[in-house]
Amino acid sequence: MSERFALTGDLSTTVVVIACALAALSLGLLGAELWQRRKVAKRAVLLAVSGVVAVLGLLLAVLRPVAVTSRGHTMGPRVVVLTDVSRSMDLPGSGGTRRDAATRALEAMAGRSGVRFSVFGFGEGAPVPLSRGARDARDGEGTQGSRAPESGASGQGAAGKAGATPGAPGDARLDPRGGTGAQEDVPIGAAVAGVRPALRSDLGAALEATARAPDERPAAIVVISDGRLDRPTAAGAAAETRAALEPLSLASEAPGGGTGLPPVHTLAVATEGPPDASVRAVRAAGAAVAHQPVTLRVEVGCSGGLTCEGALPIAVRELREEGEPTLLASGESRVDGGQGTVELPITLDRAGTRILEVKLKAPDGDRLPENDTRYVAVDVARDRIRVLHVAGRPTYDVRALRMWLKSDASVDVVAFFILRTPTDKVKALSDELALIPFPVDELFNVHLPSFDAVVLQDFDAEPYGLTKHLPSLGRYVDRGGGLIMVGGPDAFVGGHYGRSAVARVLPVSLDIGEAQASDLASFTPRLTPAGQAAPVLKPLLDLIGPELPEMPGTSVVGEAMPGASVLLTHPERKTPRGAPMPVLALGEHGSGRTIALTVDGSHRLLFSAFAQSSAGRAHGAFWDALLGWLMRDPRFEPATIAPKGGCIAGEPTTLVLRTLGLGTGQAEGGERGDQGGPGNGAIGGAIEAVVTIKRLGSAAVVRTLRAKVREAGEVVELPAGVLEPGGYAATVEVVQAGAEEASAGGAAPGTLSKGPATRRDFACERGGEEWADSRPDPERLKAIADATGGKALLAADAEKLPLPEGTQVLAERQVSALAPPWVWTLMAAAALGLHWITRRRAGLA
Amino acid sequence: MARAGFRLSLHRREVLGALAAAGAGILLPREAHAFGEEGAFNPRPLLTGKARWEGVRTTAPGHWSVELEGRTSAPAHRSPRPVRADEPVLLAEPFVLWGGDADLPPLTEREVSGLRRFIALGGIMLVDDFAPETGAFTRGAKRELARVIPEGAVIPIGAENVVFRSFYLMQRAVGRVEGPAQLQAIVRGGLPQVIFSAHDLCGALAEGEGGPSVAITPGGDRQRELAVRLCVNIAMYVLCSNYKDDQVHAPFLMRRRAPGDEGGSGKPAPRPPGRP
Repeated sequence: MSERFALTGDLSTTVVVIACALAALSLGLLGAELWQRRKVAKRAVLLAVSGVVAVLGLLLAVLRPVAVTSRGHTMGPRVVVLTDVSRSMDLPGSGGTRRDAATRALEAMAGRSGVRFSVFGFGEGAPVPLSRGARDARDGEGTQGSRAPESGASGQGAAGKAGATPGAPGDARLDPRGGTGAQEDVPIGAAVAGVRPALRSDLGAALEATARAPDERPAAIVVISDGRLDRPTAAGAAAETRAALEPLSLASEAPGGGTGLPPVHTLAVATEGPPDASVRAVRAAGAAVAHQPVTLRVEVGCSGGLTCEGALPIAVRELREEGEPTLLASGESRVDGGQGTVELPITLDRAGTRILEVKLKAPDGDRLPENDTRYVAVDVARDRIRVLHVAGRPTYDVRALRMWLKSDASVDVVAFFILRTPTDKVKALSDELALIPFPVDELFNVHLPSFDAVVLQDFDAEPYGLTKHLPSLGRYVDRGGGLIMVGGPDAFVGGHYGRSAVARVLPVSLDIGEAQASDLASFTPRLTPAGQAAPVLKPLLDLIGPELPEMPGTSVVGEAMPGASVLLTHPERKTPRGAPMPVLALGEHGSGRTIALTVDGSHRLLFSAFAQSSAGRAHGAFWDALLGWLMRDPRFEPATIAPKGGCIAGEPTTLVLRTLGLGTGQAEGGERGDQGGPGNGAIGGAIEAVVTIKRLGSAAVVRTLRAKVREAGEVVELPAGVLEPGGYAATVEVVQAGAEEASAGGAAPGTLSKGPATRRDFACERGGEEWADSRPDPERLKAIADATGGKALLAADAEKLPLPEGTQVLAERQVSALAPPWVWTLMAAAALGLHWITRRRAGLA
Repeated sequence: MARAGFRLSLHRREVLGALAAAGAGILLPREAHAFGEEGAFNPRPLLTGKARWEGVRTTAPGHWSVELEGRTSAPAHRSPRPVRADEPVLLAEPFVLWGGDADLPPLTEREVSGLRRFIALGGIMLVDDFAPETGAFTRGAKRELARVIPEGAVIPIGAENVVFRSFYLMQRAVGRVEGPAQLQAIVRGGLPQVIFSAHDLCGALAEGEGGPSVAITPGGDRQRELAVRLCVNIAMYVLCSNYKDDQVHAPFLMRRRAPGDEGGSGKPAPRPPGRP
């Protein structure tokens, strides 16, 4: 608080000046008069004194002086602190980890008085305040293995992670006590340590967000990092920094024509990396397409004083569902100047997400073995779907399927139909026949992996030599191939597939006891609740409605295999356990998918009086969806699932599940509900999404997560806990609540309530991209600082940062009169009266 | 034999026959195909107007099925039933055999509509002229099919077409009469959808208890055999579409096909476990 006096409390400056001028003029006239009457010197002093007193009294009576009491404080400059919270900050730095160095720098800055710090963590996307919410979230994960999504002003955790709520810059304050604001009573060091490491270091995005924020313009920006950034790039650090901060530019006000940008000071948390050999980058030369070679460019590096003499061996392997990874390519990289490159051609046979392991054999002395192995998820596209269509005999059903396959330009079909059996009498010489040998050995020994899907349509495995290839067909499915078995007298049990390796991968059991292999009675397949809801049947049902055409009999099969989903059933026929016999079942096995269709009458969807209503399009819709599901076409998946922001081994992982097609929850055979059409609407019954996470290689189930789903399209976050480095397969099954229990208890209808599964493979790395290059990059930090007139210092010198001075801010002002007006008036009148008397006695007028 | 055209007066036997056929149609159960036979080749005779399926060639479709089943792996219906162009059952299966020996009356609107649906769904039709010497039936069929498929142009198809190599390698078409070397067809989507035969294939197929019902012109078992092979090829084309156009067959077929080669080396065909 301060107190001062003022000449007046209510008059304007002009009036004060005029009054003072008049007073001065009066005093001047008085002086001139006394000078002329200097003969009366004895009274001159008295006259002058009384005159001055009278003038001042009159002036004070006009001005009426006041006392001013004010209250205020010094406002420190707003300084935005952007702290790198990426994974690379956990690497060794100056005195501990780089994160430790950053924490110490923050704490050192906290001792700077008169500065308002706004502390954010940057990683991926907009920066997030380092608030108590982030720390709480991390504690929750540590104790429960789960992370609650943060929201609102107090919930800005998971710094830099995809999907994290962007922080509103300005929320967090670093006060001199070391807290992060008046409402934050935790040390800033704990806040930094509590943030989940981000998978990127995007300072560019953080600067852009800071510049665009509708907050007070920062007087300076401080960046605490190791300089190993995604943005700004090393080559364009200065220009990119200036571009990011452009909204803060005050160029027109800048003295001397400067940039007008707030200075960006940088604090480097490390200047040297550890002795390390690493796989720095894995890049594909173009998109990966199934069956086509693609070149992987693998960049390796040695740093931190580690000498990599000679060549570094590198191997690329594809992780499998079960068993050892498959070696795709290997080579050696010669390291020159601390870095080397090797190009390895690989060919991936299966489309979809494939997990590759790129492994470097590091020399002795490598202190960071975590980045010797990288796990890369490669999305393998299809140029065309290659389908092997094998039919045991030509029928209208074969014709219909072939015509559809050939009509789809995206399908490359290789067909082999048995046109002549050993007992047929062709009555012709061999040269008169347009028949070729069935290259069964060549097909299934050599070319099988080149196909995306195999269709076995009414094909007897025994007489045509396929039996001995069934194990390789089973392995083909395990490794990601698709298989469809279509019914007929020579399919399933009738085709000698029982107890074969193919029986193991089919979604239905071929154990039918003493029953005949075929049931000749016509029937109309019945939709299961899962079938009503499955996206794979939606195109068909949209065309024809819930009523299917009558089928002229069926191959007889047993129970649905565990994990399979049954979409169509026989209305009367039962399995040995009493469940309705599956007619259309979908299943996953290993990395592949299989479909069992027990009827040979799907051509009735193409050509029949029934098909007329849909102009024959129902057949194409049906098979397009079946083949699409087999090929994991997203249109026919019941859900999508992916790790939120990636997966860091050793850190809690969250899976984001979005359901696409859900059931009505009605009993089998019931009508479709008004709200519960395939893939849309709310759900009448309790629906549960069961997510199973298996580790690739061992196929061991590491997590089983469950979530209640209320409506299609709902996004659910599932905490998956801490995962080890490697590849994983997350499989989602949408089931009616209680279905599994019913199934486990022998109640067959349980399997009817399980929809088709969807699967997503993903990789967890210990350090990932952030640890791939362990070298810090202080030169980049210096370039950033120089671009804006800032200083580049080491984190240990944080207290030496040249921060701007604060400004005084008046918060309260009180004005009080020194005396009432009448007192001033009385005093002026008395002084004037005294002066008048003195003048009279001196003989003046 | 299907007699096309109107008859102003009906004989008593014809009336009784028609009544018997109608009665049989009522009493017989609806045609039901068993499992495995559902997709079997079924050479259903197509009837239009007041035509009936009668005469010596009525055994031809059944014999066609017998030959097909005996020579190939394809299943076939041994007793194909005639189907009328205006009946819904026309759409039950994707193949019909339309034969006749004389000009035919204009199709009714219902028949045109039925055939149009049949063609639109992808059905295949064989138009077999039982009296190719006159060609009246072929001309009438083309005229009426022009109402069904206005955009369909009839073009000749020869040995290069998949119909001529769908099972047997054939150099030319032949039936009861030698006729032209080529067939004719309305091609849609790159594939013959209506095949015109001016060779009386049904005449070559027809058999009674004592053997062939119709004499071959100019004659010989070889001509009848080739006619049967053409019928087998047509059936296999119906069942397999253009399977033999697949690239995988090309090198084999190019090696085997040679100009004028119909006899081959004379060696009997081996018995492989199965031939695609």
